[in-house]
Amino acid sequence: MRIVFLLALLGGAVFYSYIAFFDLTFLTRTGRIGPGFFPRLVGGGMIVMTLWAILDALRDRRVVAAGGAAAPEDAPAGFWRDVVVLLAMVLGYAVMLRLFGGFVSTVAYLGLALFVFNPRRHIQNALVAVLFPGAVYLAFDRFLNANMPPALFNLPF
Amino acid sequence: MDVFSDLMMGLSVAITPMNMLYLLIGAVVGMIVGVIPGFGPSAGLAILLPLTFGMEPVGAIMMLAAIYYGSMYGGTITSILLNTPGESATVASTFDGYPLAKKGRAGPALVMQAVASFVGGTVGVVMITMLAPMFSQVSRSFGPPEYFLLALMGLLTLIVMIGANWKLGVISALIGLALGTVGVDLETGQGRYTFGSAELIGGIYFIPIAIGLFGLGELFYAFYTGMHRAGEGTLVDYRKETRFWPTAQDYLSTRWTMVRSSVLGFVVGVIPGAGATIASLMAYSAERSISKTPENFGKGEMAGLVAPETANNAASSGAMVPLLTLGIPGSASTAVLLAAFMLWGLRPGPLFMEQNSELAWGLIASMYLGNMVLLAINIFAIPLFVQIVKVPYRVLGPCIVVICALGTFSVNASFVEVWLMMAAAIVGFFMRMYGFSPAALVLALVLGPLAEQALRQTMTISRGSFDIFFERGASLSIIAVTVGLVVLLPLMSRYGARAKAAKTTDG
Repeated sequence: MRIVFLLALLGGAVFYSYIAFFDLTFLTRTGRIGPGFFPRLVGGGMIVMTLWAILDALRDRRVVAAGGAAAPEDAPAGFWRDVVVLLAMVLGYAVMLRLFGGFVSTVAYLGLALFVFNPRRHIQNALVAVLFPGAVYLAFDRFLNANMPPALFNLPF
Repeated sequence: MDVFSDLMMGLSVAITPMNMLYLLIGAVVGMIVGVIPGFGPSAGLAILLPLTFGMEPVGAIMMLAAIYYGSMYGGTITSILLNTPGESATVASTFDGYPLAKKGRAGPALVMQAVASFVGGTVGVVMITMLAPMFSQVSRSFGPPEYFLLALMGLLTLIVMIGANWKLGVISALIGLALGTVGVDLETGQGRYTFGSAELIGGIYFIPIAIGLFGLGELFYAFYTGMHRAGEGTLVDYRKETRFWPTAQDYLSTRWTMVRSSVLGFVVGVIPGAGATIASLMAYSAERSISKTPENFGKGEMAGLVAPETANNAASSGAMVPLLTLGIPGSASTAVLLAAFMLWGLRPGPLFMEQNSELAWGLIASMYLGNMVLLAINIFAIPLFVQIVKVPYRVLGPCIVVICALGTFSVNASFVEVWLMMAAAIVGFFMRMYGFSPAALVLALVLGPLAEQALRQTMTISRGSFDIFFERGASLSIIAVTVGLVVLLPLMSRYGARAKAAKTTDG
């Protein structure tokens, strides 16, 4: 998985460097450093360092496959399922924010998230799902005069 | 004006009812941020930064600074009562803090950590008061070449501190530098990596990235490690103890520990990249090595708790010196603070204390007051923070998501930034999992545009020659300091790590 992440970074670095080398100028017409100078240094550096890290990761994998010790960067097996569930809920929350605004979306998201991660405590969950967004709404909208996401579709309540 | 009258002027700026209220809020929030494991001051600052936009700059900066140094106080409560550090700078406080609590001395340990934090923080602020004007004076001769080198030094020292994973640290910094190049090039007007999007013309906004990496990204990682499935843990109940207050012997036996650790912590804090964690570990190691009873360390020795606590608070004050006088943050937390200054249209640097003397001295004066407020809160509001510790992470986690999302939106009322924050969170989660450094990314994102601008100005001055870096005395001094730090910092880190290793071996 580490190699997949590093390959994704390498892809990004190559794309970044491509633009730096082909779309951005190295020097301006007056001979000064142009907008492409710094990105070329950064992009080139990223490609070199990411390739180096990929080679390290491949070597570590070979050592592990040969029965050696695990690489220090290898993450221990964790609660992947919970991370994916939380991530899905967070993405859903972002979509709902756009559609139903700050308060309604937050109540719905918190209700669902607490139902999943804090099961069998329905009263506590219901209280947190309503009181916390209420407190946040008061703090943001009334006390701090900060922007709360407006609803695209207003619900009838 | 001399330092004393500057400080008096700062006090007159800081002491207003509203500013004192903001200071109190900042101190309490900082304590809460410190108490929550896996949620450091960088995340707390990034998330709460947008909420200060409706405030006066002095009050806002005072509040944000109080969150920063307040988190150093809060992190120790869980170190002592739960054997779980609230944040990395309080890891060393578990070594003797928890054994003290297990011995039935949780109350004295909590009070002594508050006193030690107060002493460290206050000595640190006294040293800022003395040294910041001197630093400002010296750095007035700096030009673009020196600023480029300072930015480079900030990044290099942070990467060196990453240690074995330094290659991943360099990649993290390069990602930050790359993100910093997005937007319209101010010199030529040419768009860079904007892909025709109006939202990207002004560049990638710092706050969504910082909130994503430190707030939501850390939360995903906490879920990955199963923090949400852990129980409440076994909190040591200090209320059942017969004696809450420390004895006279506790104070007397640690008075020189506080002095030594304050100076050590401050000096380490001034060095970019070193920070409060290294300071606390070094202070613990140093104290044990000069102690007449080193065998008691790790078994509930009061000096073993006082040393790291004093040092981490002094270090957090020390970190303000390069931030205020050079405009160079040495850590992710001070990078967020720098971003806060910049959002207010302020540019810390050599002329900052002269041109914004009210704000700069108001901030320094507020740190004296903040440490007093924190001492009182730490001793008298312990039950409140113990209640916060008891809130399970599975309830706290989903609530943190809400603060992250709404906090990001509130900055520019932009849904694009909410999505950007979430993308940063996903990247931050993988970075955290595979040993990358989100701190280096954020630091590079802040320093990158400054470094690029300084480099371009330097090249214009020198007509394209890099010799300029070796011709100016100030540049050569910075290069020498950087080389010295690159050699010294790994040794310091190793010295601090010895305390950790010894503790692990002792069990």
